[in-house]
Amino acid sequence: MASNPRNPRVSNAIDSLITHLVPSNPDDDEYAAQRRHRASFELVQSILDRPGSPVSSDVNHASDLIKRKLIQSNPSQALRFSNLYTRLLSLPVLNQKWAILYLLYQLSDSPDPNEPLPLSPPKPTAQREPPRPAERERRSRASTVVPTPEEAAVSDAFAPGGLKKLPTEDPKRSQTEERPQQAQPPVDGTPKKTVRDVSIKSTLLADNSNNFEPTEMGLLRDLPYTLQGLSSTTLPFAKETVLKLPPTLPAPIISLLHTLAEPSLLYRGLSTFVKSPAKGLLGQSLRAAISKELRSYLTLVATLEAQVRRALSAVDESAPRGGIGKAGVTLKRCVVWTREATMGLRLMSLIAEESNSRHGGQIISMIHGFSTSHGDPVVAAFAERLLADVTRPFYDILRRWIYDGELSDPHLEFFVREQSPHDEDRKESKAKGQASVWNSKYEVVDGMVPSIITADFAQKVFLIGKSLNFIRHSCGDSQWVDAYSKTSSKPLSYGDTATLEKWIDEAYKTTMRRLMHLMSNRFHLFDHLQALKNYILLGQGDFIALLMESLAANLDRPAFAQYRHTLTAQLEHAIRGSNAQYDSEEVLRRLDARMLQLSHGDIGWDCFTLEYKIDAPVDVVVTEWGNRQYLKVFNFLWRVKRVEFALSCTWRKCMTGARGVLQTSDEEVLQTWKSTRGVLAEMVHFVGQLQYYILFEVIESSWTELQTNIRKEDCTLDDLITAHTKYLTAITHKGLLGARRRQYQESLKEAAAAAAQHGADPTSTTTSSSFSSTSEDRNSYMVQLSELLRTMLAYRDCVDGLYSWSLSDFTRRQEADAVSMLQHRNKKPRLAGGASSSAAAAADLDDPFVTPSAAGVGNNDDSDLRSELPALQERLRQLGASFKARLQILLGDLAYQPDVDMRFLGVSMNFNDVYQPVKRKRAAASGGSGGGSASAAAAQGSQGQSQAAAAAGANTSRA
Amino acid sequence: MPPNDRAEKQAAAQQAVDILHEIATILNCHLDRRTLSICISMIENGISPEALANVIKELRKQGQQAQLDSATATAAAATRRR
Repeated sequence: MASNPRNPRVSNAIDSLITHLVPSNPDDDEYAAQRRHRASFELVQSILDRPGSPVSSDVNHASDLIKRKLIQSNPSQALRFSNLYTRLLSLPVLNQKWAILYLLYQLSDSPDPNEPLPLSPPKPTAQREPPRPAERERRSRASTVVPTPEEAAVSDAFAPGGLKKLPTEDPKRSQTEERPQQAQPPVDGTPKKTVRDVSIKSTLLADNSNNFEPTEMGLLRDLPYTLQGLSSTTLPFAKETVLKLPPTLPAPIISLLHTLAEPSLLYRGLSTFVKSPAKGLLGQSLRAAISKELRSYLTLVATLEAQVRRALSAVDESAPRGGIGKAGVTLKRCVVWTREATMGLRLMSLIAEESNSRHGGQIISMIHGFSTSHGDPVVAAFAERLLADVTRPFYDILRRWIYDGELSDPHLEFFVREQSPHDEDRKESKAKGQASVWNSKYEVVDGMVPSIITADFAQKVFLIGKSLNFIRHSCGDSQWVDAYSKTSSKPLSYGDTATLEKWIDEAYKTTMRRLMHLMSNRFHLFDHLQALKNYILLGQGDFIALLMESLAANLDRPAFAQYRHTLTAQLEHAIRGSNAQYDSEEVLRRLDARMLQLSHGDIGWDCFTLEYKIDAPVDVVVTEWGNRQYLKVFNFLWRVKRVEFALSCTWRKCMTGARGVLQTSDEEVLQTWKSTRGVLAEMVHFVGQLQYYILFEVIESSWTELQTNIRKEDCTLDDLITAHTKYLTAITHKGLLGARRRQYQESLKEAAAAAAQHGADPTSTTTSSSFSSTSEDRNSYMVQLSELLRTMLAYRDCVDGLYSWSLSDFTRRQEADAVSMLQHRNKKPRLAGGASSSAAAAADLDDPFVTPSAAGVGNNDDSDLRSELPALQERLRQLGASFKARLQILLGDLAYQPDVDMRFLGVSMNFNDVYQPVKRKRAAASGGSGGGSASAAAAQGSQGQSQAAAAAGANTSRA
Repeated sequence: MPPNDRAEKQAAAQQAVDILHEIATILNCHLDRRTLSICISMIENGISPEALANVIKELRKQGQQAQLDSATATAAAATRRR
């Protein structure tokens, strides 16, 4: 017996434990009982003596184990346990709390040997007992599954393996159908069962099967109510998502009821979902579609109920299992009948749950996702059916959008949306003047585009609606839109994608054609573009020349002395006097001359600007930004033109003067004039090349490109805007205007984005990236050019000074000549005749003016004039040199331009290699372009040969 | 054998057993108060909890065996045996 030295208390305890746990057989005699007891005792001893695995004696360890277990199986009990546990810890009596807890943990969920005894009749105990533990287990598992049936259904139905429940259920079911007598699936709890004879077991099962309470018939009677989500006496709904099963049922029935509980609970959840208020039209339609499906489910339940009632009325009470096996309706059969409906309910509850976090088009996308990408054809078909109803409001909105151009979308469910004015991007583009009614009124929300239509298609739809809206509201042509929507409006619905696409294509074409028609005919968009080019980009030469001529005198005065009425009068004069008068009234009345913001000390030239007023709706193409670009180009061109004009005036003066007043015998003065003419010719050449480049190479070629782009057959307004933006950016970039890089790139980006659907233009993107490296240079082009222009103007002033000096010199000489002539008139009356007769005539004309001053201070002037010449010479030489140096730097920069056209400008300016292009850095490092300019000067000498020759010719002829 | 072998702390022990019994119920241990008391006293006397758990499981198995062998009058026999 107890051989080891153990505490007698322990032995006592073991004794009592054995007697308590092992019921003794009353049939046995005393000795047998004794023996059995001893055997048990020894067994216990041996177990206790066996070295157990070391367990950490930390009290927290055991409680943690318990807590974790409870949280997994039964969260509400876990809280209760922690309360109890704290109370236990506060008790002083126990020393081995952890051990007791650990014991309890080890024994947790152990099979209960005693409980069923009072409940079950005495005889079948052996058979009834085994299922109990399993049933308990199931029940405890059920408590975890039932609260979230949707989740379970979802995770089952949409697990990677699909509905993995069914395959395992099916064979079992078919098996049970074949052998109704062995209806209960073998669920064994004890090893003893295995030794039992199968036939005995089956008869026992058949006998016992109707022993449970409530009976299967009762359950069947209540089942229809349960399936409708109503509580019944046997199967009450404890909570919204919990169905309480009677605790007295055997495991197989419980498992069947579990299966049947799923549709019931899902139905309950869905019916509350259907009743819940929807967030938008699509939410409402989803609820409507689901409630339609629920109705068909209820129809199924009604049929089921009819079957159940018929079967129950026909059932034979006396037959085994209440005769239910022969009635044709069993719980199992009900499971089979509701199986498909269950899957539908599962899918719907999944959709319902998902739809809470989604909105508008996303709901459609989600359901469409099921219908297209779900592997189960049943699920796909179901989703497809659901989709037809759900998409109805979407197609209503779509129809309104593509046939009326109205966005009737109170819940923001459509993928087109009015832009909110507080958007950050919008503000930015507005600040840059790129926003317009066309671009900024509506936008596509990519996330809301339902997957039933492609992105391309959505873009088309967006364009159609936008155009219609534009036609109606901005172009004021709502009659056409109304007529159009009346004639071509068609009911759209889900399903027939091909027809839908055809209709949309048709609508797209019609709308675009109408819009372009309006733009070109009613709003004269193309005329405006042409006018902009003619007037703002100086395309109309005669007009500009006349304008400049008539304004020149006026603009030489300071800016504050400019008056708007004089400017407009001169403008009018220029229009009347040039071919511009034949332009349409529509265009001419938009042309306006005004002064820019004048700053102190400016002269009229700096402030004058022409303006072409663009109003809605054409301003969607020529945006505020575009207008600014036009103005920039105009101002630059106007400056160049002005320099050209000034230079040519001076050149003319010199050329005419060379035949008369400039004739002199002074070698030094002749030399000065010669070199001056040379530099002047250089400048004229430069300005000519520059103008040619900008007007022809840049503007005309871009214009041609624009024309080809916008004259295309299927050109849309978007294409037009893109083409125009590209046109402007090309001009501003290539025209050396050095538009800031960022702006340029952004506009390019915008253009690319707009052109994305028509295939992005790869060249524009590559050029933009290559330009980024030269952005600083380009910025300096503008500075360099204005420096050059300023130098040229200064040079011209200087030349004018030289001219007046020569003139006064000439007058003085003329005077002296006149005096001597008066003295020798009688002697040599014909001396001044011949070659210089015209000059003499001019001098004669000047006489009345010159005579008084010459008579008064004639001799004093002489020395003054003489002393002025070197200063003039010096200044001319300085300006000429600086012009050359700057030009060489510019050429150096141009030579390394990535853009071919700009390189070509450099080449054409320096076609005979007169200039030595200088790299900027080297020029700065080697202290000026001394050598370069010297050699250039030498070369220039040769270039100026022709003029020099002409001058020499004049000189010799005079001599 | 009721847990009154420590009479002076009987009230406290009673409380402890109450608590532990409740925990046992939560955990589905199927221990009645008496068995639980025995187990507590054994553990307080230094029996390893793991071994004790094995003992109880084993004894239950035996008890079921006995029940199968003699299905009638289990409770009566048990009282008589004591």
